[in-house]
Amino acid sequence: MTTRATRGPRRRTVVALAVILAVLSAFIVRLVDIQVVRADEHVADSLSLGQLGKTRSIAGARGQIVDTDGTVLASSTFVYDAQLAPAVIMELEDAKTPPKTPWAEASEKIGEIIGKSGDEVRQMVADKLESDPKSQYLELAKGLSTEKYLELRDLGLGSYLAMYARSVRVYPNGAVAGNMLGFLNGEGKAQYGVERTEKQCLAPKNGEETFLVGKSGNKIPGSERTTPAVDGGSVQLTLDSDLNWYMQQVIAEEARKQGAKGGSITVVEVKTGKIRAAAEYPALDPNDINAVDPQYWKSQIFSDAYEPGSTFKSITAASVIDQGKATPLSHVTAPSRETFPNGAVVNDPFRHPVYEYTLAGALIDSSNVSMSKFGSMVTAKSRYEYLQKFGVGHLTGVQLPAEQQGILTDSSKWDSQSLYTTTFGQHFTVTPAQIAGAYQAIANDGKKVELSLVESCTSADGTVTEAEKPQSEQIIKESTAADLQRMLENVAVQGTTSKMVEIPGYRIGIKTGTAQKPDGKGGYKQGVYFTNMVGMAPIEDPQYVVVVTLDEPTRIRSSAATASAFQKAMTQVMKTYSVAPSSQPMDTLLPKFD
Amino acid sequence: MSLNAARVQPTPEPRRAPRPKLRPVAAPAARRRPKLAYAALAVGGALAIGVAQMAVSLASTQDSFVLRDLTSQQRELGLQKQALNDELVALTSPQALAVKASNLGLVVAGPASYLRLSDGSVLGAGRGADWTSTVDPKGAAAVGNALLAPPPSPVTETPADSTAQDAANQAPPVVTDGLPSPTTR
Repeated sequence: MTTRATRGPRRRTVVALAVILAVLSAFIVRLVDIQVVRADEHVADSLSLGQLGKTRSIAGARGQIVDTDGTVLASSTFVYDAQLAPAVIMELEDAKTPPKTPWAEASEKIGEIIGKSGDEVRQMVADKLESDPKSQYLELAKGLSTEKYLELRDLGLGSYLAMYARSVRVYPNGAVAGNMLGFLNGEGKAQYGVERTEKQCLAPKNGEETFLVGKSGNKIPGSERTTPAVDGGSVQLTLDSDLNWYMQQVIAEEARKQGAKGGSITVVEVKTGKIRAAAEYPALDPNDINAVDPQYWKSQIFSDAYEPGSTFKSITAASVIDQGKATPLSHVTAPSRETFPNGAVVNDPFRHPVYEYTLAGALIDSSNVSMSKFGSMVTAKSRYEYLQKFGVGHLTGVQLPAEQQGILTDSSKWDSQSLYTTTFGQHFTVTPAQIAGAYQAIANDGKKVELSLVESCTSADGTVTEAEKPQSEQIIKESTAADLQRMLENVAVQGTTSKMVEIPGYRIGIKTGTAQKPDGKGGYKQGVYFTNMVGMAPIEDPQYVVVVTLDEPTRIRSSAATASAFQKAMTQVMKTYSVAPSSQPMDTLLPKFD
Repeated sequence: MSLNAARVQPTPEPRRAPRPKLRPVAAPAARRRPKLAYAALAVGGALAIGVAQMAVSLASTQDSFVLRDLTSQQRELGLQKQALNDELVALTSPQALAVKASNLGLVVAGPASYLRLSDGSVLGAGRGADWTSTVDPKGAAAVGNALLAPPPSPVTETPADSTAQDAANQAPPVVTDGLPSPTTR
């Protein structure tokens, strides 16, 4: 009810309220405009002008690579580059109040730390000033260790001595598994090895620090906003660092003893396909890659494909037995030189009378002629398929950069000669890793498990990502694998290298191979070979496969050159993994001849 | 008028009462003394708020200094840890350990022997290790490690290390007060 008395004040209130609301809404409109509508623009402005504060990037550390026991094989650390401002030094010297440490004394101390004489340091500064009296930059030293950095810093010469940290990669175990680890280039980009294949896991995420700065240039306390850097994840390998060291030591010694150009030892765990050691000679030390020829920066185990030779006679035997065309005791008539109906000529590596070779005997004596005849019991196409199943012509599961898959031409393109040479490991090429993969299948009762080198990736927050489970496939019958294992044991016991490869307490199976090397002119190199030996132990339940290769040994030129290295390598593997010695005696010897 | 006064005197129900007759007052009512306590409370409260705010602000500034000190201490310790790690880095490598073991007369033996507890039989090689190592970690074929090369770190292997010097180097650090830290000048 409005009366004359109340109408006046009420109207005033309404008007006042309206004015207040109008002003308030003007503010709100402006606020929304600043905070919401044009927020991005303003934020960008503040960043580019830098008026609100300073932003500094915080570098995260690249992740570690560790072996199966957690031994660090690659890690990141910082080194420091130091530089001087020569003009400032002189300015301070000439100032009315002399610096706490005069240059004459400071230069001596600096020199002592960086390993130069005081005179040299002073000379460097003087030279620089001569060429440019206003110079603010003189490189003093690069790559100083943290210890030296701390010493230099504590001299308190911050006014003219600046030091910048630089992240570098360190490989504490040097050349141990160096070819598998790979290396980075000067810019820190991964070039090879696990460093490259696992770069996503290893890469850090840089953080950021923003803060306000007072007039004097000091950080205003409480104004810091920090987004911490996230360090790279840690990659765990399947390798065993100590075992790998031993293998590298063995292969280096044996390669030198045999006058070989290079060599390798690969150790694979049979049940899992995990590579436990990958040793090479010459080995790459990622700390100093220039110490070896660039040819050896790549892994010989994954990048050097040769015709394997007799090692792949077992695969021919596998395809024949698996299709029920022969047993270890089936036999063929074999002279040391045979001309086949299609005109192909095959020679055995040694002269012998006409023998009635069993399949076991053909493997034990490594007879090319008898293997050609056994191989003819099945079609070329099926042998081609078996080679494929055993991994020839396919990349291994490791997929190292520059890995070779080898060459396997289709069986329809095999000519009359290669129709037979393919039975004893010629006319196709494989890498030592592929040999290991093929024998892993034989050792694992016919079940081929893809080779693997990486166990897992552990991110900075501790989340573990297991590597993808390797594919596995039963490629031959268990009984076929058992026959092959028995024949390989007979090769170890009755073959020419039997005395050299003996490992007390263990029953083993082996096969040797000698491959001719192309001379680059369409023919083969004369008198030098790529030799290899592959074996498994203990044969009654194979746990490990070891492949030894020697490239062009010159003292013993045949595959016997690899015997000593193989014996040492397999002995060490049995010791390292405490594999129980064989407790069952060997079955009766298989006859070589019928 | 204070709030208390308002509460004890509820607004009378509006009703049309006969207009009171106007009459002159004998004397103006005695003016009450303003209550000092209220004023003191108000001013005191304002002051207290001011003081508290300053105290909180001071404390938070103080904290940010403490935080800065701790951060720089953490950084310092991080650097020292890194310096120590750098010294250790190559010494833990298998090459360095093998050379040291070899200097002490240890060998990498050949095949191992196992004793089967069930029947007491010896499996495997069945003989002890001989004096020759299966590999020679000090030979020309030694596995390389650039970090172990003489120049970079003064602590790494000296080529002709006398056993005495070695022993002195390897003596564990004496921990009396806290963890040992390098002397920095």
